[in-house]
Amino acid sequence: MSSQTPTKFDVVVVGAGPAGASAAYLLAKAGYKVLIVERGRGAGTKELFGGKIYAEPLRTVWPDLDKEAPIHRWVTRERISFVKGERVTTVEFKLGRKVAFTTYLTEMAKWMTNKAVESGAILVDEVRVDEIIVENGRVKGIRSGPDTIEADVVVDAEGVNRILLEKLGLAEKIKPDQVALGVKEVINIGKKAMNERLLLDEGEGLAWFMVGDVTAGIPGGGFMYTMKDTIALGLVLHIGKAYEAAKTGELKHTVPMLLEKLRTHPFFSKIWGDADVLEYGAHMTIEGGLRYMPKKLYMPGLVVVGDAAGLLLNTGYTIRGVDYAVYSGKLAAETIIEALESDGPTEENLRKYEERVRESFMFRELVKHRGIEKVMEDPMFFTKLPAMLNILLAKLYEQDYEEPTVLEALLDSVKESDVSLSKFMLKLFSVVSKL
Amino acid sequence: MSEEKGLKPIKIEDLLQRTVYDVDEDPHIEIIDERGVPKELTMLCPCSCYTTVGEKLLYSYEGCLECGLCRVLSEPWGLRWEYPKSGRGVQYRFT
Repeated sequence: MSSQTPTKFDVVVVGAGPAGASAAYLLAKAGYKVLIVERGRGAGTKELFGGKIYAEPLRTVWPDLDKEAPIHRWVTRERISFVKGERVTTVEFKLGRKVAFTTYLTEMAKWMTNKAVESGAILVDEVRVDEIIVENGRVKGIRSGPDTIEADVVVDAEGVNRILLEKLGLAEKIKPDQVALGVKEVINIGKKAMNERLLLDEGEGLAWFMVGDVTAGIPGGGFMYTMKDTIALGLVLHIGKAYEAAKTGELKHTVPMLLEKLRTHPFFSKIWGDADVLEYGAHMTIEGGLRYMPKKLYMPGLVVVGDAAGLLLNTGYTIRGVDYAVYSGKLAAETIIEALESDGPTEENLRKYEERVRESFMFRELVKHRGIEKVMEDPMFFTKLPAMLNILLAKLYEQDYEEPTVLEALLDSVKESDVSLSKFMLKLFSVVSKL
Repeated sequence: MSEEKGLKPIKIEDLLQRTVYDVDEDPHIEIIDERGVPKELTMLCPCSCYTTVGEKLLYSYEGCLECGLCRVLSEPWGLRWEYPKSGRGVQYRFT
């Protein structure tokens, strides 16, 4: 760390992701001395997500988001495909309103962090924080190698892989069934080809979720998002179940091969053909936010935001992480400002951050959808249902002379896909009540 | 899923060439005791950093995407797991 950097700050933010940048921006704007410490080379270089961000929570922090942010495309179409072998059943919804946009999180994190820096925050990159320093039950600052930096408050925005919180004893070691692995390829299809093949107007985007054979029996799904002139293609795989499948030998392909199979899938690959893969990456995400939430989101001198706080909604077909991260950063900043204006970042004062989180839309959503990850782990939904749908439509459409009635086709497809109809109806109810 | 038709598969070694790295001279992850590191990582690691030679599990950190999967699946005494220092490691651009 350079000798010009003062060693005492009002707030040190660990991690220049969406949660850290949002907190740092609001605190710097309010006039506090803020340091952002980032392990990557500049903000964004260690960031990876699916591709879609819900805009409204971000506008509460950056009202000029729509004009200024590196928005690639507004999502105007949502597609879900159920895959069984070469058979694919697709439902497409044309949205009536623009609520979410696509972007690279690498770009977006850079933009958000720049906003904080323009407001007076200092960014120190290429510095890995090794420890959050605690003295007499109170967080005092951070340590990186031999260097320490003191702060009245530390904002832990370290992300899903929460090494610092574990060291601090605020979080337990991650369990395999709490997390999912995301792998992603960025494919350089070109703007013109993309708009033509996906029937998109300029600036309009498509979010595509694929469920069924694409994950080879592992709970999870495939995704495709349209960026400006590239597409993001990826898989999200339940880690606990993937591990079990690898142990029993049911998993026949390596994880990179599973993504390769999706990229070369005879139906889906029509979109991108043999366009170049520009980049390949992997990142973990959370299964079931409430189960991942640390017992406390604060202690004297510390608040925990974003993924590290378990603030991510994963319903199986939609993951909302970036907007939750930004919004938690905002709640953290508001609480810290109040605390620093009164008698400091005490246990009592920072507890209000957790109270704000619990009163927010994020917590209400997480409670409402609690347990959805358990339901979605059921092979009924990610394997049998896609199979059933495709068998049903095959019965109706793949006929040369006589076709069955819809009821006959339905009953046959239920039987052939090994689904018990009563169990299916019960399960369906538990899904629609939690989704 | 049916076999690939016409589209050329990309080997993982070639796929990882598309991603930019600044590889550190010191490994940020090391196997300390392979009894605490599951062999299944040869299937699950997204960059195929884990391989077996005979019965022995080997790890090479150069292609690591820093996802943390091996940390989750291993015993704390099995691996020394850290993020790369000084901004080294994977340098994502379009993710």
